[in-house]
Amino acid sequence: MDLVRGTLDVLILKSLVWGPLHGYAITDLIRRQTDEALLVEEGTLYPALWRLETKGLLESEWGISDNNRKAKYYRLTTEGKRRLREETRYWEAYAAAVAKMLGATRPPLAEEK
Amino acid sequence: MMKRIPAWRRYARIFGADPRADVDDELEFHIETRVEELVAQGWDPASARRQAESQFGDLAAIRQAGEELHGRRRRTLERRDWWSGYLHDVRYTLRCMRRATTFTIAVVLTLGLGTGAIATVFTLANTLFFRRLPVDRPEQVAMVQATKERGRMPGWVSYPEYVHFRDHTRSFAGLAAHYSNAPLFTTIRNQSREVTGAVVSANFFPLLGLQPALGRFFRDDEDAVPDRDRVAVLGYDAWSKWFGRSPEVLGAPLRINGATFTIVGVAPEAFRGITIQPDDVYLPTMMSRAAFTWCADSLAVDCRPFYMIGRLANGRTAAEAEAEMSTLLPTWWTGQDGGNSAIRVLPARGVFHPDLSRSEERRFVELLAAVAATLLLVCCANLAGLLMSRNMARKREFAIRSSLGAGNARLMRQLATESMVLALGGGLAGLLLSRGLTAALNALFYSADRSGRPIYYNFAPEPRVLFAVAAVSMLAGLLAGVIPAWRTLERSGAASLKQPRIGRWLAGAQAAAAVALAAIAGVLAVSAQALLTASHFDAAHVALLRIRPRAAHYTPERAQQFVRAAIQRLEALPAVESATMVGTGAVLVGNNAQAALPEWIGTRSIHCTYLRIGPRYFETLRTPVLRGREFDQRDNLQSPAVALVSESLARTLWPGGAAIGALVEVNGRPHQVVGIAADVTLQNRTEAQRPYVYTPYWQNAAQVETQLAVRVKGDPAAMLPEIVREVGRGDPDVPIGNTVTLAADMAAGISSERITGAFLSFAAGLSVVLAGIGLYGVLAYSMSHRTREIGIRMAVGATAAGVRRMVVREGMAVVLTGVAAGVGLSLGGAREVRHLLYGSGAGDAAIYAAAAVLVAAVGLLACWIPARRAAAIEPMSALREQ
Repeated sequence: MDLVRGTLDVLILKSLVWGPLHGYAITDLIRRQTDEALLVEEGTLYPALWRLETKGLLESEWGISDNNRKAKYYRLTTEGKRRLREETRYWEAYAAAVAKMLGATRPPLAEEK
Repeated sequence: MMKRIPAWRRYARIFGADPRADVDDELEFHIETRVEELVAQGWDPASARRQAESQFGDLAAIRQAGEELHGRRRRTLERRDWWSGYLHDVRYTLRCMRRATTFTIAVVLTLGLGTGAIATVFTLANTLFFRRLPVDRPEQVAMVQATKERGRMPGWVSYPEYVHFRDHTRSFAGLAAHYSNAPLFTTIRNQSREVTGAVVSANFFPLLGLQPALGRFFRDDEDAVPDRDRVAVLGYDAWSKWFGRSPEVLGAPLRINGATFTIVGVAPEAFRGITIQPDDVYLPTMMSRAAFTWCADSLAVDCRPFYMIGRLANGRTAAEAEAEMSTLLPTWWTGQDGGNSAIRVLPARGVFHPDLSRSEERRFVELLAAVAATLLLVCCANLAGLLMSRNMARKREFAIRSSLGAGNARLMRQLATESMVLALGGGLAGLLLSRGLTAALNALFYSADRSGRPIYYNFAPEPRVLFAVAAVSMLAGLLAGVIPAWRTLERSGAASLKQPRIGRWLAGAQAAAAVALAAIAGVLAVSAQALLTASHFDAAHVALLRIRPRAAHYTPERAQQFVRAAIQRLEALPAVESATMVGTGAVLVGNNAQAALPEWIGTRSIHCTYLRIGPRYFETLRTPVLRGREFDQRDNLQSPAVALVSESLARTLWPGGAAIGALVEVNGRPHQVVGIAADVTLQNRTEAQRPYVYTPYWQNAAQVETQLAVRVKGDPAAMLPEIVREVGRGDPDVPIGNTVTLAADMAAGISSERITGAFLSFAAGLSVVLAGIGLYGVLAYSMSHRTREIGIRMAVGATAAGVRRMVVREGMAVVLTGVAAGVGLSLGGAREVRHLLYGSGAGDAAIYAAAAVLVAAVGLLACWIPARRAAAIEPMSALREQ
């Protein structure tokens, strides 16, 4: 399933809730967390990460990865956490609204004039 | 999960982050991890790599995007670093300044004096040329001005002409007519006085987007039928003055020029009319016959009392409007001689002024700006000297800082920051000072016009002015700071030897500027005095007033009787020596006329100053009548037309000297010359002597207004109330205005000369003091470094007097060079102000000499103190010191 436009940022923010990760681990986490339903295109991930960092939602630091290589780790800033909360609320409301519409079985009652 | 990188590796890129390497490393890690995974699943390494890369996407594009993003972020960070460095510098500077209080105060004061003068000029220029009207969306408001004589002279329009323009223009969303500064004779609550009013079309206030403070403005139907609707709107100040801001003003009666009006509203507080004279009363154009008495019918097509003001339609510029209005000129404008011939549309900025080019005012402000700039340069030179001495004293501090790793650029930046902080402090002091200077200027020159009527200039500062002052003070700070900073950072031993030499140059320049400013200030002051005591008239002891019997609807015959009776009553007063009168135009200044000989039969004429004068005019003004006689009571409507000519006109017309008895045509009518009066020299030094021609007041049947001139025995200002009372006894309804002494009137007439003079005196006084301080500073500093040298000199036999002489000689060499240059400068500068100078200038050389001597004397004093100190040096202790 391809990503709906605009969702990648919030997925990245969410994936960092449990602690700092490098880019590879982020794609991995998203893939496994969504039962392989969402596939993050690797090429789009990095520009998204850099953009979020420029906006001050993430910060990065070089570290050593599990396979003992030098990797860049990203972590949420306070601002990033705040943004994630906002976005989560928005997505939940949006998803509920879309679900309501698509799950409808009959047209709404006529409004009184 | 994440192992921390060893501490030392975190600093691997401390010397400049490398965005390209960063991006490469990050992407490479991703791909390698993928390859490892694939290999673990059984792929062979080469195809695993291919697979990983193709899965990743367009590697090159992503890499480039990453580099750009990282680079941009890094630049932002660097900028932030740089600014925080600056903040550090500023804090450091403030700390230093707290420690060196005297120095800081001296610098801020010096700069404040310099910027204060220039801030005053900026304020003046802003008010004269740039400030918008206090109305809604003022940038759309434009003055629509008729012009005559190929655009050189301003013109007025008649009411039908205004209606023609109003109804045809598409460039303006609205066009209003106004006749401002109308002298109105009003009676409010049984008190009569002359006030200034404006006659405006009903759309005037709505067009400007104004809201009444009370009541309402004019309705359209109140400005539709001539003479029907006697309604008036009061100015806010008039409401306060006359009615104590009582709401009961609405509906109250107001007598204007003999007719009763009803007050319907009050204009808002911020709006005082279009011109510099605040309008106390507004009337609708349809009532203009009550206000404008110079035509039989002020609404006729050939009577032109009005100006126009418009609001440009959205998106239209003044230039477009002017192009359109020029196609709408009334057909009767073409071909009329000396009448309106074109239209100009000018954005409403600065004070309203009918003089189109405003060249005189511009020249005046430019001159003030030049004086202020000179003063500022003197202040800069003074400061540079001060900073240089201080930086030398701080050599130790700089040495320590540079040994701690601060580079030259860093120290330079620190010094520049210090200059900037001091400059801003100076700018602030300057703004405060300019508030005071502007208030003084306003009180002296900009709160009342020639005849004592109130005028209003808004000198409140605007952001534009504050900005300019800040910019100038920064520039001054930089100018004063850059040479000392550069000198300080030159490490070579030569620097300390060069330093006093530059200091001397600066001191010499200050002395030169001081001489120039003082000399020109002196020349201006003497010349202003020369105008008041100019040859061939005596302005002292003369009182003036203007009466307008015709405004009270007198017939010409009754008006003449009124004037005759007034003169008789005045001459009967014991304190009055003589009384006379002038028709249209002012005493000494007059009007213009063409004089010619009959045999020229209209082929040529001479442009003259023309006065219609009563008997005893020359006696009253003390202008000598060289030959023939003055006019007397017998020169009236029944007797032959006679004239007096001035000496220069007589010489031009009759070089042979046969003037008396000859015929001269004045504006085409022949008059017999009965006398020759001495030339009145009112011209400045760029103008030629004006020829004068005089005819008798009593030989003109249709005098519209009359100026009385009364010579009294004592103080004319003290006599004015009695004179007004005596004239008013004839009929209290005849307006009396412009009551002023002749001396005050003439002084007001040269206000720009006097402002320039006052400003120059301020600048001159300041720069003389600064030059003295500057020289003292340089000498004292250089002496303090030569203690050892002087000690040696004295040890080998130099006397105290010898040392004194040496120091004074060194100092005076600087001073005298500066003074000589200053005299040259002032000769050049005086040429630039010739248009402000009166009289022959015979005494100018003495003024130059006096200025030179003054500055030299101050210089001598400045040398004397360090010289005495040097001579008091104890040779032994001086040598032991080091």
